[in-house]
Amino acid sequence: MKKIMCILLTALMILGLVSCGPVKQEAVIDEKFKPRLDTSTSCHINVAGGYDNFEALEAEFDRFNDHYPNVELVFTKVDDYNNMIGTVLNGNDAPDIYVNYSWMYGRDQYKSSIDHAENLSDPALGLNLNCIRSNITLKTDDGKLPMVPVFANTYGMLVNNDLFEKEGLSVPTTYRELVEVCDAFRKRGYKSPMMGFSKEETTSIFTLTSYPYFCGTVADDAEAVKKLNALDPPAGEYMRPAIEKTVQFFGDGCVDLEACDEIENNYDAVILRFFEGDVPMMAGSGDTVSGTEKRESRYEAFIDAPFSYSFAPIPMSDDGAYFLDMPNLQFSVNKDSQNLDMANEFMRFLISSDELNEMAEIKGLMSPTRDLSFDSMYAAFGEVPESRILSPEEIGLTDDALVQVRQAVFKVGTGEMTIDEAIAGYGSYPLT
Amino acid sequence: MENQSLKKILITVVNVVIMVAILIFVVLYSAFTSRDSYLRQIEHFVDTTVTMEQVTENYLEGEQRICDVWANYINNKDMTMEEATAYIRASHVLKNASAHLIYPDTLTGLSTRPKQGTVDDYTVSYERVGLLDGIDWDNEIGKAINITRAYTNPMNGEQSLAFCNTVSLYDPESETSRSAILLRVLPISELEQKWVFPQTELVNAGLSMIDADGDYIIKGYSFKNSSLFEFYKSYNHTDPESADQLFEQVTSSTGYVSMLNSHGQECILAFTPVDATSDWTMLGIVPAEDLHVDKENWLMFWVVSAGLLILFICDMFYMLSLNKRLQAAAREAEAANKAKTDFLSTMSHDIRTPMNAIIGLTTIAGKNPGDVESTKDSLRKISLASNHLLTLINDILDISKVESGKLKLSPLTFSIVETVENLINISQPMIKEKNLEFRFNISRMENEYLYTDQLRLNQIYINILSNAIKYTEPGGEVSVGLNAEESSVPGCVRMTYVVADTGIGMSPEFIETMYQPFSRQIDSRVNSIQGTGLGLAITKQMVELMGGTIDCVSEPGKGTTFTVVLDIPLADRQREDMQLDPVDVLIVDDDKIMLQTAVDTLESLGASAEQAQSGPEAIGMIERRHTSGRDYDIVIIDWKMPEMDGVETIKRVRSDIAADIPILLISAYDWSDIEDRAKEAGANGFVSKPLFRSTLYDKINNLIGKECRSHEPEDDNSDLQGMHILVAEDNDINWEIISRILTSFGIITDRAENGRVCVDMIRAVEKGSYDLIFMDIQMPEMNGLDATREIRGLENPWAAYVPIVAMTADAFSENVTECLNAGMNGHIAKPIDIKLVIKEIRRIREDREQL
Repeated sequence: MKKIMCILLTALMILGLVSCGPVKQEAVIDEKFKPRLDTSTSCHINVAGGYDNFEALEAEFDRFNDHYPNVELVFTKVDDYNNMIGTVLNGNDAPDIYVNYSWMYGRDQYKSSIDHAENLSDPALGLNLNCIRSNITLKTDDGKLPMVPVFANTYGMLVNNDLFEKEGLSVPTTYRELVEVCDAFRKRGYKSPMMGFSKEETTSIFTLTSYPYFCGTVADDAEAVKKLNALDPPAGEYMRPAIEKTVQFFGDGCVDLEACDEIENNYDAVILRFFEGDVPMMAGSGDTVSGTEKRESRYEAFIDAPFSYSFAPIPMSDDGAYFLDMPNLQFSVNKDSQNLDMANEFMRFLISSDELNEMAEIKGLMSPTRDLSFDSMYAAFGEVPESRILSPEEIGLTDDALVQVRQAVFKVGTGEMTIDEAIAGYGSYPLT
Repeated sequence: MENQSLKKILITVVNVVIMVAILIFVVLYSAFTSRDSYLRQIEHFVDTTVTMEQVTENYLEGEQRICDVWANYINNKDMTMEEATAYIRASHVLKNASAHLIYPDTLTGLSTRPKQGTVDDYTVSYERVGLLDGIDWDNEIGKAINITRAYTNPMNGEQSLAFCNTVSLYDPESETSRSAILLRVLPISELEQKWVFPQTELVNAGLSMIDADGDYIIKGYSFKNSSLFEFYKSYNHTDPESADQLFEQVTSSTGYVSMLNSHGQECILAFTPVDATSDWTMLGIVPAEDLHVDKENWLMFWVVSAGLLILFICDMFYMLSLNKRLQAAAREAEAANKAKTDFLSTMSHDIRTPMNAIIGLTTIAGKNPGDVESTKDSLRKISLASNHLLTLINDILDISKVESGKLKLSPLTFSIVETVENLINISQPMIKEKNLEFRFNISRMENEYLYTDQLRLNQIYINILSNAIKYTEPGGEVSVGLNAEESSVPGCVRMTYVVADTGIGMSPEFIETMYQPFSRQIDSRVNSIQGTGLGLAITKQMVELMGGTIDCVSEPGKGTTFTVVLDIPLADRQREDMQLDPVDVLIVDDDKIMLQTAVDTLESLGASAEQAQSGPEAIGMIERRHTSGRDYDIVIIDWKMPEMDGVETIKRVRSDIAADIPILLISAYDWSDIEDRAKEAGANGFVSKPLFRSTLYDKINNLIGKECRSHEPEDDNSDLQGMHILVAEDNDINWEIISRILTSFGIITDRAENGRVCVDMIRAVEKGSYDLIFMDIQMPEMNGLDATREIRGLENPWAAYVPIVAMTADAFSENVTECLNAGMNGHIAKPIDIKLVIKEIRRIREDREQL
């Protein structure tokens, strides 16, 4: 009897193994990129963008060359990119793939950049668009998808994890916790528990703290969005909760603005100051975070006393933090490319969780894919509930409206205006 | 055993160590040569980069010169920007080239070609390009090639390079001169087409040009990032200090460094300053593996490895095989040694036995000199023991020669008749002793003389026959058949010798090993029979040496049949045509086969032969002939016949019919026992079985009065009386023996103590003083062979041709041949058989008489 049972169990195990094997295999095969074209194809693919240095993309070129060894892919930096890309696309050096921005939609001066773009939502192209978060995959009004995000951006704060651990504190997830943590740090000798760039409006600490909160206040109010987009001065009242929250935040003693004023710019200087190692939290954007890894080996303070850090949303609400999800860099395929098939093949290769995550990790930017857990730097954003993930583009706020909000908050934050003055000035702030 | 095992391991380890040492040497040598070659390739690559720098520099200088010429012209003419633009536009040769004149303070100006998409908009702005900001032109212009980095041409969006110079333009608004930057703008694509390494082996190589900060002026495909230094730091582990040293090295000298590219591949980065520029550096990069051209070194390594491995394995297998063979050989040697030890032990016993008899009987004879009968008996037994001892010694010597491979044939012409007679003579005593039924049949023996090694042939025949006789119980039967057939070998006759007995036979197991030396069947009956266990081994070796075959069929208790087949060459010399005068012959025998054979033989001799199968029948036939007056010319009657034997038949013929009919008595045996009785009965002569053609011819002719070749009666030695023989013998005892024996036959003997004395004596004596010389071979001063040669070389014809017969203990056939080659006329082996000596003396005498 035992013998029969043994035989039956063994047979079941073998059957199980045999039946499980192919499923796993298929799953792996399904995720693997399979070339559609002749792998011996020889051609030149030019990718244009405004970066001086696009090491992450060049790494993808190398990976693509594993499949198509004879395809020569180069990244070309175009000077004055936003203004020149239209000219470049119409010239002799028109790229096959180029960096594009969704904020260019509907703007005449960038019409060429949108018009040259192939519709990437065409199912025939076989792009795995599902791997990208839908709120940053932005289509035009006519339903076309001229570009797909390859990086995402957000606002948040760099957290010195070692300091939190040292002081026995946890990274705050609500505004109350934030204030408590700042108070605790301050009591332990940290003069400014949170810092940030404050000299200019662009990605200033004021913008970084208030902007997600502001979006949260109008996200479900289409009427407010409409009025704000119209730059109608009375619409300035929609800014009041956000501005008041900012004022409260700075009033709660979380930030020493004088110390922030010593930070010269919103990139190198922010990172340098954070690497000093005595700042528990440093407000910044995803762009700033992308520069940290390379600079680890350049700043002596960090070399002498390295610490672990991550990027987390700033919890300006008692209900928790907002994750402001924005596309950072988007790629379009030039529909007039002489090597259109291969350009599309490269995009098909690139638009996958593996490749986009790989590229984002190298670049240090947030990945546009649905899974953020792969990167410990941005993992905290993956824990934000979907209801608190906001996309300005989805909300419908225009860049011009957002400029008004940012300017108003900055002026209040720097003491240049009162809250009322800033609200009253809505629609009058210069558009950049 | 353990020691051998350790030795094996040691040898294997030493072999492996040697192999590893060789491989290490090969690897090191390969690595050295490969490294050497690799370094040469790197040097070559650096040189190529330098060459490319020079080519590039020439190109850039040419382009820069055009820019400088324009600038000089414009400066000399005090032109406005529009005029200068028009001038340059008119000077354009290249379709894709353009020129921009830019005021450095506003970073705006005019282009020689209109903006993309327009036909008349020549305004150009560098405000957003970030190319002309903060450049101190004063120190550069006119002194060197002054070229921008690759940038986007704001007029058409093409990636371009610009050669620069400054010009002074007239500003109509302020009516003053105003400095401007002249840029000769060329699309990079133009340059890239010309800017590749020429060598086909450097297809993966790339070129770039960097400025003092490491930023690419022109960026090749193999280079990554926006700066070489970023490129280096991105893919190579380094610390800031090392990186700074490297960058200092790259931007200030000519040379190369090794680095990893974006694929993690090791690359060689060659660098050299672009002399005509300020702080620019030409870079070449190539995968290191492209410079490793000596891949055959690895091929050599693998070939050597495989060769050594094969050699090692072969050696190991060979050594194993050799060891096995050596072990087998050692076992065989051990076995052989044991066999020889056993044999020596046996021989010791076997030699001691007859020796014991000889010594003991000699002692007995010595103690009883007066007892003639006892002394005779002792001497007879001593003689038997001596003969056995001699056989034993001969066998030992023969097997020794067989085993050493030195047994060689010494062919000579001989009579098969004599051989058979000898065979019968030798075997007769034992046959008689054991009272065996013995038959010897021959057939088709037409050629008497054959040419082979008679000694060895005798040995084969005697060995087999003597075995048959030895191992057949008393009263048993031994039959011999000798048949001559036509041979497939030209010039040969096929002799088939069959000896069958009704003896004890042999077991199948023994038959398998019976030809091996020293083997004797384990049998109580055999153990009681004297034998060396060498006879069959010697016989088989000799048969095979003579190209024949030997087969045996045997059954224990029933008997054995040996068959030897030999192709023996016929001698050139044969008896002259033997034809009798027409004679009537009656032959009488109870053996029908023998009878028919004899009739055939007689008829072939020309005789008219009739046959009778018994004495009474013969008497009847003789009587009828006698009555009719036609007596048989000769009657040949077998001795042993049932009912009435030959002697009785002769007696009846003589008494009842005719007293004068010549009658021969046939006997298969020695007729000495019946000689007196037969002669008394009236027999005219005797003839031995088998009845050879020549024997019958001789006997019949002898009886009917014709001269024929025949031997003298053996007991009549009167013909020897008075012969004079010189004996060359150094040994006193041997001299005494031969001297006394010959003297007993009435022969006069003289002695020469050695070869030299013998030669001197022959030289000195008168013609005919000696009938014969018996020459010992091994003698002091001069041996028998040299003495013979010297005698044969004497001037005196008689002396030179005096018969010389070797009498020596050198009894092998090659010794015989050696003697004959030296010029001797015969050979007698010691210990001497007096019968053979007498026979030889008679042969010599007859030959002399014939001459």
